[in-house]
Amino acid sequence: MAAFHLEMKVNGELVAVDIDPGMRLLDVLREVLHLTGTKEGCGEGECGACSVILDGELVDSCLVMAPQAYGKEVVTIEGVAALGQLHPLQEAFIEAGAVQCGFCTPGMILAAKVLLDHNPNPDRQEIARAISGNLCRCTGYSKIIKAVEIAASRIKAEAGAASD
Amino acid sequence: MKKRGFGIGCMSYGIGNTGLPNPAGAFVDFLDDGTVIVLTGCADIGQGSSTILAQIAAETLGVAFEDVVVVAGDTGVTPDAGATSASRQTYISGNAVFEAARKARQEVIAGAAAVLGVPPEEINLKNGRVWHGEEPTSLSIKEVISKCRSEGILTLGHGWFNPATTRLDPATGQGIPYATYAFATQVAEVEVDTETGIVEVKRIVAAHDVGRAINPQNVEGQIESGCSMGIGYALLEEVVVKEGEIQNPAFSTYLMPTAMDVPEVYPIIVEELEPTGPYGAKGVGEPALVPTAAAITNAVADALGLRFYDLPLTPERVVAEIKKSREKKEDDGQ
Ligand code: FES
Ligand code: FES
Repeated sequence: MAAFHLEMKVNGELVAVDIDPGMRLLDVLREVLHLTGTKEGCGEGECGACSVILDGELVDSCLVMAPQAYGKEVVTIEGVAALGQLHPLQEAFIEAGAVQCGFCTPGMILAAKVLLDHNPNPDRQEIARAISGNLCRCTGYSKIIKAVEIAASRIKAEAGAASD
Repeated sequence: MKKRGFGIGCMSYGIGNTGLPNPAGAFVDFLDDGTVIVLTGCADIGQGSSTILAQIAAETLGVAFEDVVVVAGDTGVTPDAGATSASRQTYISGNAVFEAARKARQEVIAGAAAVLGVPPEEINLKNGRVWHGEEPTSLSIKEVISKCRSEGILTLGHGWFNPATTRLDPATGQGIPYATYAFATQVAEVEVDTETGIVEVKRIVAAHDVGRAINPQNVEGQIESGCSMGIGYALLEEVVVKEGEIQNPAFSTYLMPTAMDVPEVYPIIVEELEPTGPYGAKGVGEPALVPTAAAITNAVADALGLRFYDLPLTPERVVAEIKKSREKKEDDGQ
């Protein structure tokens, strides 16, 4: 099979790779770019462990064929911390004890980030809905929801301070 | 119609199996710079054992938690600690690390006693310092370590723990099967839709006797997740097997709780110290899940006046039971 020339932006950087066109975005991220923070759980769009942000929307990267990402912008968990500074969501997850085995965590943080990017003021119900495509077996979700609440209030406070 | 109900579930659960040998070992060593390394075979699968073992070592040695590195579950270098199962690691590996740290502590105390010229029994290690009785001295633990090193004295310890193996009577199965027990009571509030059969868990209050909660946030995390698994057990999760083949091997057919299915859980930690546990700790892993399904099923019985004997309480099962009881009432001419 002829190789597919894939160009996309990953975590802010332009990437050009020649790949098998049958590859999933998940495989390109993990196997070709070695961004192994993105996890494969079920491989069939049911667990959310492989979540990444594609042009601002949360997607299961196991359901996206790599060529579909051509010309698009991908954000993985590796791209969430800016300049060595953890994102407020990452800090809140640590603080709230929202990480146990950690397998769901990258997807959870990206799902929460997409939520907060669109809705800086979510209530508990909205948070639960936003992460309901991301399964977690370890935490029972309580501390994850708590972490998102903490991060939301910090981001709001920072934005308020910046605009003052 | 929506009906509300409350239910209670209670449990006791054995920690530290004694029917068969059940040991764990650990090594504790001070490095030259005064930081500590703990070697344990205990695999942390997310429950937080590495954190807890570091806390036990830090507390015993009088050093900062941040100065303890735990090397866990590497068969190339760590001693056997048995399985991370049966809610045993805090109790068993916790005791092994405590024992190893206690021995390393004795070495440090001997070194400090020599420097200060006081009897070792009067020395204590706390907050990174050597204490004489109730008073901190000017000597830090790090200084003692480098003094010992300069004389070629190592400050390390090994420890292991096995809850006395008692063996059960092979004829009767009777004996003392566990070293200690955890206890818990959970209360669930549910809302049942009598048309659709959907059971919604509104709230769970979960009170758990865990002995000493070495890390309360971890204990809460275990309780909350146990409740979530218990909700799955009560309402959603069922492995359907037909002719030896699992019929629902996917998350879309074997349903487990999502964030939408889990209500607010209110953990209550009861610290009834266990004399044989490290700093009084027992365990909480499985106990957190044990009473949940019972509490939910009792709450459904309270709401509907109907008893269920098969789990999970799927909408189909609930509707069928409601229908059966209506028909029975009609037959009885009520
Ligand atoms: S691995 Fe993609 S949704 Fe599970
Ligand atoms: S932390 Fe283990 S699955 Fe979420």
